Amino acid sequence: MSRIGVFVCHCGENISRTVDVERVAEAAGHISGVAYATDYKYMCSDPGQGLLKKAVAEHKLDGLVVAACSPRMHEKTFRNAAKAAGLNPFLCEMANIREHCSWVHEDREEATAKAIDIVRLMVERVKKDKALQPITVPITKRALVIGGGIAGIQAALDIADCGHQVLLVEREPSIGGHMAQLSETFPTLDCSQCIMTPKMVDVANHPNIKLYTWSEIENVDGYIGNFQVTIRKKARSVDMDKCTGCGVCMAKCPQKKIKSKFDCGLGTRPAIYVPFPQAVPNAPVIDRENCTYFKSGKCGVCAKVCGPGAVDYDQQDELITEPVGAIVVATGFELYSIAEKPKGSSIKGYGEFGHGTIPDVIDGMTFERLASASGPTGGKILRPSDGREPKQVVFVQCVGSRAREKGISYCSKVCCMYTAKHTMLYKHKVHDGQAYVFFMDARTPGKSYDEFWRRAVEEEEAVYIRGMVSRLYQKGDKIVVMGSDVLVGVQVEIEADLVVLATAVQPRQGADSLAQKLGISYDTYNFYSEAHAKLKPVECATAGIYLAGACQGPKDIPDTVSQASAAAAKVMTLFAKDQLEREPIVARVNERNCVACFYCKKVCPYGAVEEKEIRDRQGNLVRVVAYVNPGVCGGCGTCQATCPSKSVELDGYTDEQVMAMIEAL
Amino acid sequence: MTKNLLNYSYYPGCSLHASAKEYDESTKGVFKALRIGLKEVPDWFCCGATPAHNVDELLSLSLCAKNLSLADNVEGDLAVACAACFSRLKTTQHRLTENDIKRKQVETAIAGSVSLEKPVKHLLEILAKDYGLDRLADAVKKPLTGLKVATYYGCLLTRPPDVPELDCCEAPTIMENVIAATGAEPVSWSHRLECCGANFTLSRPGVVLNLSNAILASAKRAGADCIMVACPLCHGNLDIRQKEIEEANGTRYGMPVFYMTQLLGLAVGVPTGKLGLESMIVNPLPLLREKQLL
Ligand SMILES: Cc1cc2nc3c(=O)[nH]c(=O)nc-3n(C[C@H](O)[C@H](O)[C@H](O)COP(=O)(O)OP(=O)(O)OC[C@H]3O[C@@H](n4cnc5c(N)ncnc54)[C@H](O)[C@@H]3O)c2cc1C
Repeated sequence: MSRIGVFVCHCGENISRTVDVERVAEAAGHISGVAYATDYKYMCSDPGQGLLKKAVAEHKLDGLVVAACSPRMHEKTFRNAAKAAGLNPFLCEMANIREHCSWVHEDREEATAKAIDIVRLMVERVKKDKALQPITVPITKRALVIGGGIAGIQAALDIADCGHQVLLVEREPSIGGHMAQLSETFPTLDCSQCIMTPKMVDVANHPNIKLYTWSEIENVDGYIGNFQVTIRKKARSVDMDKCTGCGVCMAKCPQKKIKSKFDCGLGTRPAIYVPFPQAVPNAPVIDRENCTYFKSGKCGVCAKVCGPGAVDYDQQDELITEPVGAIVVATGFELYSIAEKPKGSSIKGYGEFGHGTIPDVIDGMTFERLASASGPTGGKILRPSDGREPKQVVFVQCVGSRAREKGISYCSKVCCMYTAKHTMLYKHKVHDGQAYVFFMDARTPGKSYDEFWRRAVEEEEAVYIRGMVSRLYQKGDKIVVMGSDVLVGVQVEIEADLVVLATAVQPRQGADSLAQKLGISYDTYNFYSEAHAKLKPVECATAGIYLAGACQGPKDIPDTVSQASAAAAKVMTLFAKDQLEREPIVARVNERNCVACFYCKKVCPYGAVEEKEIRDRQGNLVRVVAYVNPGVCGGCGTCQATCPSKSVELDGYTDEQVMAMIEAL
Repeated sequence: MTKNLLNYSYYPGCSLHASAKEYDESTKGVFKALRIGLKEVPDWFCCGATPAHNVDELLSLSLCAKNLSLADNVEGDLAVACAACFSRLKTTQHRLTENDIKRKQVETAIAGSVSLEKPVKHLLEILAKDYGLDRLADAVKKPLTGLKVATYYGCLLTRPPDVPELDCCEAPTIMENVIAATGAEPVSWSHRLECCGANFTLSRPGVVLNLSNAILASAKRAGADCIMVACPLCHGNLDIRQKEIEEANGTRYGMPVFYMTQLLGLAVGVPTGKLGLESMIVNPLPLLREKQLL
């Protein structure tokens, strides 16, 4: 006969307002197997937990039901209390009479009856609970960081400085991400390159960082502490060990007219190139799609002029598998393109702005390149169409953002600030020029941010017009901006020389397929999801994987760097132990019954099910059965629900337990 | 008599029996030439146009709902020429499909059931999608080669976004596609979706003189020979008021404004006398002669 204790919580008034908690405790006392039942105002408080511990000792309890909130809230709290009282923590269960009962019902009688039912079910479950021992797994103290923007760089440096090895994987030829493209940065207007490049060099020189550029993640196996990642090192066509970075190949490459992605198509580059002069590593790659040698077999100039003989046309992609214990995802963002979107896309593009066909309508990143001292115009603001200096520039905010009808309802967060910055940079360079900004709201929370915005309006004389733009069209060499000023209540038309659109910040294309490789979740826009919006903002729901930067949501540099350091701290916390303890709520296969259909393997969202061979003493294969790797199992129970021969069961949720609960109803 | 290729019920709307007779006449001419049957809905009446929905939504929905139920008596999807009638009828279908309470109110008002199943189609949709652009091109007897046309959509053919289901609301191409099938050259221009001033033509004509002027100026800037419309009200503002607009702005356009079916009629061989060209205020004949289209 069990000796179970039931503890009914009032949760202040959260539960007791609709549930008669005393009656619940009283009824619980009469359930067979219950040795003790009581109620208390705040079970989770220190005195509440004390009461529970005392009762375990006094009444020799061998199982506990805490009738309170959701297990997601306080299961850990009470299991720790049970452990402190000398019980196996997995013999303590929560009966959720708050979220599942008091919060959703109004009728006191009915709610009380339901609460009693919930308690009764959990008592039956606890009767059949088994003492479980935590699972320990070893930890590989090496981290993988995916994406070499400022987020990935910061996370990699922090982890490496702590003495752990880091693999930094970047898919472009150089690390740096968007920050390397920026001119000057809000809110202080310091030069982006000047604060960024030293960090890039630190990465290159750090003894603990192994840099894989021009590389992508091919596959991820394993689980927290024990991932196996396969990295595709794309053929660079240049031997990095031999290359001295002298740049002769680039100077001599006859193919020079390729639009530079780094310069947003404003400048050109050769077929063998580094994306920008401060690139890390400073070894070029051959863009095989545009290289004459790869297209026609003729040319070969770069190989001829390369002193150290580093150019290698025969280089192949390499697949490298590396063990790591933790992963930081920092793949950043890209900007919404106003061009016509493929049919079926939930994103619409901007027909009213000509779908991107007007050459002097550019996006914010392109303006950064125009304003950058190392950009294609040497920092002069010149129009892409004819190279003239624009005297009237119209900035349009919220293009794509906060525009449900265009497919995106969120705020991109950085545009109000960078548009204010753009008006200032413009004014500093074109003194007789006038900047106009169409905006919905000026959102400038952040240290020194509102002051910065007001400086743009009050001192640098940007004209802010509250309202949206309905149409842009080319008229001669001007662009007519038709908009509304909703404060004055009039329609506005401005003939601009240049229009800069603050287009929405979106996740990278392909963010979803990387998430699927990693087994992490993402929202409807493909931003990666954190485990808890407030309390676990850098952790993924998948253990051992952390998020940093704009891949999780639009973010400016200060927020990105903070999150990157937070993710690094989480990795270091994990690496501080030699062994990892995991909850033992995992599935177990009854090998005798298993018919090896492997439905469980197909449905397992964690990839935890393996095929296990059973051999006789002579080593002959007898049977193949399913095996659940307890290190990987997430304890969801999908396999148990799927198994046609009832051969797999989740500890703590066995069929026997579930049946007992149903029968108690 | 040869058999029709397609058959439609037809809701002309009040304008097409009055100020826009030439739109009605040319529509019938074109459809006949293309062997598309049009059968007018018996006893149809006003859709309520702008006045009804400005004053009382229930009235506006009820007028259209009643017309839709009358249309059920004639076979074939409902063909509509006037952009405003088209918009009102589609809006009614949209509103009553998504709102059960409104639907019940309307049923009480018209003392009958509401039927929303019959597809309501603008002529453009019939020509571009049902009949098909290839077939239309094949039916052309006199290509409108060399004629530069500014295709004017106005407000209602594509908006509000979810209602007309005719084409993309911000960057439509259906008008251009239809007229290009005749060999004419649609110009790329900025004001094809801007408002002409619509009903303000009566209450505040100054607004119309302003807005319609911008449209005419834009068409001229783009090098258009003429404007093509699918709405009697737009036609009125751009054609009938053109002289006044010119005077008010000290400009000169002389820009003929055709209904789409007038131009199509020329192309598919409808006798010129049946296109109502003579009732246009800005005389199109010099242009048509110059382009050798008469
Ligand atoms: C026009 C504009 C101006 C801005 N100005 C400012 C400013 O003045 N001040 C400020 O604080 N913030 C500014 N920001 C915001 C700033 O750019 C971001 O906060 C910052 O770049 C985010 O860094 P990140 O590392 O998260 O992303 P990113 O910079 O996008 O870096 C992500 C990196 O990951 C790599 N990557 C992506 N996918 C993969 C993959 N699958 N595998 C491997 N690598 C991958 C990318 O190539 C890239 O190098 C501005 C933003 C814009 C658009």
